[in-house]
Amino acid sequence: MAPLSLHDFPRAILHIDGDAFFASCEQSRRPKLQGRPVVTGKERGIAASMSYEAKACGVTRGMRLAEIRKRCPEAVILPSDYETYSLLSKRFFAIVRRYTPDVEEYSIDECFADVTGLRRPLRMSYHQIAERIKHDLDTALGFTFSVGLAPNKVVAKIASKWAKPSGLTVIPGRELHQYLAQLPVEKVWGIGHQTTALLHKHGVQTALQFARQPEAWVKKYFSKPFYQIWQELNGAYIFELVTGEHDTYHTIQKVKTFTQPSSHREFVFAQLAKNIENACIKLRKYQLATERVLIFLRSQDFHDTDLEMDLSGPTSFPNDILHVVSPAFVQLLTPATLYRATGVILCKLSEASYGQLDLFGEVIRLQRLSNLYESVDTLREKYGKHTVFLGASFLAHTHAQHEGDRGHLPERQHALLPGETTRKRLGIPMFMGEVR
Amino acid sequence: MDSHYLKQIQAFYRSHKRMPSYSELMAVVGFRSKNAAYKLVERFVQRDWLDKDATGRLLPGRLFQDLPVLGTVSAGFPSPADEELTDTMSLDEYLIGNKEATYILKVNGNSMIDAGILPGDMLLVERGADPRDGDIVIAQVDREWTMKYFRKRGAAVFLEAANKDYQPIHPQEELKIAAVVRAVIRKYH
Repeated sequence: MAPLSLHDFPRAILHIDGDAFFASCEQSRRPKLQGRPVVTGKERGIAASMSYEAKACGVTRGMRLAEIRKRCPEAVILPSDYETYSLLSKRFFAIVRRYTPDVEEYSIDECFADVTGLRRPLRMSYHQIAERIKHDLDTALGFTFSVGLAPNKVVAKIASKWAKPSGLTVIPGRELHQYLAQLPVEKVWGIGHQTTALLHKHGVQTALQFARQPEAWVKKYFSKPFYQIWQELNGAYIFELVTGEHDTYHTIQKVKTFTQPSSHREFVFAQLAKNIENACIKLRKYQLATERVLIFLRSQDFHDTDLEMDLSGPTSFPNDILHVVSPAFVQLLTPATLYRATGVILCKLSEASYGQLDLFGEVIRLQRLSNLYESVDTLREKYGKHTVFLGASFLAHTHAQHEGDRGHLPERQHALLPGETTRKRLGIPMFMGEVR
Repeated sequence: MDSHYLKQIQAFYRSHKRMPSYSELMAVVGFRSKNAAYKLVERFVQRDWLDKDATGRLLPGRLFQDLPVLGTVSAGFPSPADEELTDTMSLDEYLIGNKEATYILKVNGNSMIDAGILPGDMLLVERGADPRDGDIVIAQVDREWTMKYFRKRGAAVFLEAANKDYQPIHPQEELKIAAVVRAVIRKYH
């Protein structure tokens, strides 16, 4: 079989993926949980992450808790402890950055890293660099990572998935075709149901068959992103790493589930208003303003309805957004329907600046709001989130987010050290359980 | 040579009021590869001349803080105080070696009481470190954390408490050492 590429590593790209990340964070700090099925996401009512033992029982992501208890009665179901997961995620990226500054933090539990050209300075082969990074991660974090090394992102993703968990797979350009021959085309990153169906119609089943299609054919039937995937499957480096770009956002999203599900109009609106306030806090933190807002409601049976609307101008204040959102909310809400979550997505973000002159005194109004929220943010920093909040979200603050069984807080929030408060804890992850 | 580079970076910091990016750094010090700039940064971070934030961006280290005030003459003699302060470290730096592998935990039992570790004490432990004979370690025994002295006699290893009421643990199978204790913290109030 002819190889797809004659060069092994014109670029050397790593994809590194934490194995069952959230569940592993839990298992690694509690020896009691090791070797047992562990599921996180209790507060949401669905599985957010499950350990390999739980996966073996048939638990899948998004499965409801009742279903999990039926299939896997011995499963330990825990509330998510995002504080700890984020601390460990930061460590994950910091360790990879010991080797290269070019790291793309793709999500909380996976990253891409470009190690091209580092063989000489590090005195190691690419394979050894990948091994060393994996070793550092596994020992420092106490659970395993899967690593893929390849000439580009699409193939690195294939490589890291090749032998999960705790795999290290190296796919040099010259061996690319051997891997792709065994891979169903729908397993390629970025190829979804629609594209798979179309490819199947043309008799393309494996990733290799897709890669071997002539360029003209690909360009004729597919849009640019798929052409780019085709190029990467042939060993080219097309998708650049987005490194260190997390100081700005394209959209900001806040979604929160609440229990019990409610059909109470003011209560559901208060939940939405609280999400909008939270989204605006983040907006102001990064000195951004939004011009378009999408709100959605999720019903008890997981049915989503949404509405998108434009604002009259860029803003970073919940007052302005609620003004537009409240009439839309009335439109969106179906009476007597039980809702379980609300969400908001702020789009069309730009840098916040309220200097532009206008005829209608808008600048003065925004300047006042800006002064007001500067004080609100100062109070928040000093006394905690939601020290001051809008009347619209009052009902969401007076009720606990979750009632009953699902309302368990993560254990770390109870296991306070002397001097810690429920609001501020040491930024060092903790081993849990009795230490004798 | 390094002090020359440092001066160039300090000059950039003075005129721009911020630290350079890696590509700017290359231009500032006249390097042609990002990797060389990266290694320079690593070296400076090692010496505490520079810092990096969680995303790898450069932060001004100690040598950037009090730049213009060094040696200001007020009473005839330059004050050595600021200069001397560059050789101090924070409590974090003092207690924590491998930052990414350090965890905290709270002691419940009294098996190390004769080593001065009391219930309620906090420990800073380093995951994955190689234990040496006499180190206090956190081992995993019967799905529990246990804190003991790590003892090595030839090829044999065992765990020993600092409390006469506890028997040494001679592991039947492989001994699982999760972490080595680096510091004990006892905070009053």
